[in-house]
Amino acid sequence: MDWTRKHPGWAMAGAMVGLLVFLWGMAVPLAAAPAPIGPAAQQFVDGARITVELTLISGSAGVLIGVLAGLGKLSHFWPLRRFCDGYVWLIRGTPLLLQILFVWLAFPEILPEGIELSDFACAAIALSLNVGAYNTECVRAGILAVPHGQIEAARALGLTPLQTFLGVILPQSMRVALPALANNLASLVKDSSLAYAISVVELTMVGYRVQAESYQPIPVFITIAVIYLILTTAFTTLTAALEAQLDVGQKR
Amino acid sequence: MNTEDAPRIIIEARRVSKSFGSFQALRDVSATFFEGQVTAIVGPSGSGKSTFLRTLNRLEAQDAGEIIVDGIVLNDDLKHLDAIRREVGMVFQSFNLFSHLTILRNVALAPIRVRKMPRSAAESKALQLLERVGLKSQAAKYPVQLSGGQQQRVAIARALAMDPKVLLFDEPTSALDPEMVNEVLAVMRELAHSGITMLVVTHEMGFAREVADRVIFFDEGVILEDTSPARFFSNPEHERAKAFLSQVRHGY
Ligand SMILES: Nc1ncnc2c1ncn2[C@@H]1O[C@H](COP(=O)(O)OP(=O)(O)OP(=O)(O)O)[C@@H](O)[C@H]1O
Ligand SMILES: [Mg+2]
Repeated sequence: MDWTRKHPGWAMAGAMVGLLVFLWGMAVPLAAAPAPIGPAAQQFVDGARITVELTLISGSAGVLIGVLAGLGKLSHFWPLRRFCDGYVWLIRGTPLLLQILFVWLAFPEILPEGIELSDFACAAIALSLNVGAYNTECVRAGILAVPHGQIEAARALGLTPLQTFLGVILPQSMRVALPALANNLASLVKDSSLAYAISVVELTMVGYRVQAESYQPIPVFITIAVIYLILTTAFTTLTAALEAQLDVGQKR
Repeated sequence: MNTEDAPRIIIEARRVSKSFGSFQALRDVSATFFEGQVTAIVGPSGSGKSTFLRTLNRLEAQDAGEIIVDGIVLNDDLKHLDAIRREVGMVFQSFNLFSHLTILRNVALAPIRVRKMPRSAAESKALQLLERVGLKSQAAKYPVQLSGGQQQRVAIARALAMDPKVLLFDEPTSALDPEMVNEVLAVMRELAHSGITMLVVTHEMGFAREVADRVIFFDEGVILEDTSPARFFSNPEHERAKAFLSQVRHGY
């Protein structure tokens, strides 16, 4: 962690390259492992990729939703504020599994004829909405933490409200919000496993299938756990480095 | 002043009023400011000095009355507001430098975003301004790495980067340790001699007396005296001004 703080750029690049190398290269050691792991190596690789894709897509969409809803909660326009409050209340008060099932089973009935959502898309939508609600609170707190003088200085210099938001408020609020956002992203790696309930073949589902075929749950689930640990560590390093990068203005 | 023809009016405030709830901070304040003039605004705490200054670039919107800056009426019209914010710079008591940007980027930000100046041109201009306030060598640092006096000099450079015709100062030295006051006053003195129009809310009576062309004394939301520094300091008309001056003198 100390090294990450001192060399945030390198740590970020390292974590990203590490993640890619891991995703591409993990097939090699896995294939060399004895049964039941070796024969199922490709399934593990595919499962890990789906998990990472779900995390990255829902994580990015969730940050966007968090920023928009966080702003919405601070809006002077009360219907928007109420709407965002309601969204956060609804998502945080119900189980993620229920949300995933709802998107999977209820959306096809709501959506117009002809639009079909894949299982993966349903999982991504539900996860985005879920993490977005948790991000909303972090973003709101971050925006509230920006000193009012910063906004006045930007306005006095003639920056438009949008320029002020993008150039001053957002980067400064992210510095405050990032640790919590990073936490949410790390949880997302694990929460994405609930997508197995709607037959998305992500990492946990792969583990379940492989152990069912081989009757050897212990080595299979240990392998799955190790892969999750490597993924969460990579994401945590990535966000810690980003945090350090954004923190530069605070250094003495 | 080197004026043979009549000095040009740069700011005109006509019967400006402003209330916060039931409290009337400004009552029918009228004043005319001329190009190149340096005006010191003094008065007891809570008398409306900051509020008056902040209505001049619409950080505060007046409830009644009219403000005209360089021929442009200050109102909710965004075009007018944009034009006026380009012409009127502001320096705050608490500096309000953008904490996530380097000193150089702080100064270059508004020219890049608002004036759409190419980055290289904006940065070389920023360096010139930093040289003018004696801080060229600090360009790559972040605001927290600078002393209060240095930060305030950067804030002055940042305001100057927009080539304003008028600079508003709201107690620019009040947040500084005593040993840093002079370096900021020196920069302001140099500016005053450069011919820019300045309105300075200050408790530095020495500065007001020596540098200002004009002193305005605020009390309870009205301008009680509007006169030359020599007259104000040697022979104020109103009892309130006399009381204020004796209090200030005893404070030092
Ligand atoms: N945003 C606000 N909301 C409510 N009241 C305010 C606000 N801004 C100023 N006031 C009140 O208006 C009055 C005038 O304030 P102002 O800041 O203009 O005084 P000032 O002359 O600058 O005083 P000081 O020397 O303490 O800075 C004060 O009584 C203050 O409490
Ligand atoms: Mg004030």
